Amino acid sequence: MEVFEAIKGRRSIRRYKREKISREIIARLLDAARWAPSGGNIQPWLFIVIDDPKLLGAVRKVSPGLFGEPPLAILVCSNRERAYRMGGTLGRDYLTICDCAMAVQNMLLAAHALGLGSCVIKSFSHTAIRELLDIPEGVEPELLVAIGYPDEAPKPLPKIPLKEIVYLNGYGKEFPGLEEWK
Amino acid sequence: MSEAKPSGDDYLFEIAVFLATSALNCMDEPHLYGPFRLLDALSKIVDLPKYAPCLKEDPFLQRIKAIVDEKKFLIMYNVEEFRRAIDEVVKMLAKELKRRYLETSDKEK
Repeated sequence: MEVFEAIKGRRSIRRYKREKISREIIARLLDAARWAPSGGNIQPWLFIVIDDPKLLGAVRKVSPGLFGEPPLAILVCSNRERAYRMGGTLGRDYLTICDCAMAVQNMLLAAHALGLGSCVIKSFSHTAIRELLDIPEGVEPELLVAIGYPDEAPKPLPKIPLKEIVYLNGYGKEFPGLEEWK
Repeated sequence: MSEAKPSGDDYLFEIAVFLATSALNCMDEPHLYGPFRLLDALSKIVDLPKYAPCLKEDPFLQRIKAIVDEKKFLIMYNVEEFRRAIDEVVKMLAKELKRRYLETSDKEK
């Protein structure tokens, strides 16, 4: 799949088929995630793959933002201790979040290219997720990614026209010719 | 992949977990997530009779649930339409409330 097709074709999916996802495909998604850029090459990410139906069911119950019954969820965590050791407070408090977000985007695009649907969730209970998945101090759950074969095909959501969000060579200065990019 | 159908007790427990985790999350989330979670809770509660056979399914509430499930994601991109949808749901509930509790039946006349 061509990269622009993947970027523009991806949707947040909230209804999934029950079909399981093979471990090989899961590994491909994680491999794509770890190829994301990382500030100072800290690579603070850690991935907890949840495909045990019982555990996934429990995770769903403490994640109000998780809709449908995906057969797989991947919790993307940051190793804040390592980030601090290698990147100081900037690394720990900011770069980790940026890095994990970029890793997740890679994962979403890879999933879409493989015919999978996904949805990124921040609305989960950190307290409960820590308890359920035995996550130690120093490791922070960042984003939960629900993944499965899509059972819906949502229309694209409206985007703010480029004209309204882009400036050229200085804040507030118009970038001409963006009218067609609605 | 689907979990086994929970009992009424289990389902009630799941709703309690949903409400408590939502309440905690709503402390920090965008304020519009509050109404969204409440509607989602409404949708879950309406399903309670499916799991607790002592309760009777209410066709009217099922209709409300269908509308809520169809419209709730409007919050992501059209807040005004989301508001109109909730307003419509509340109007339907008020009419039904009136019918169920305030209208005198022929027997009572």
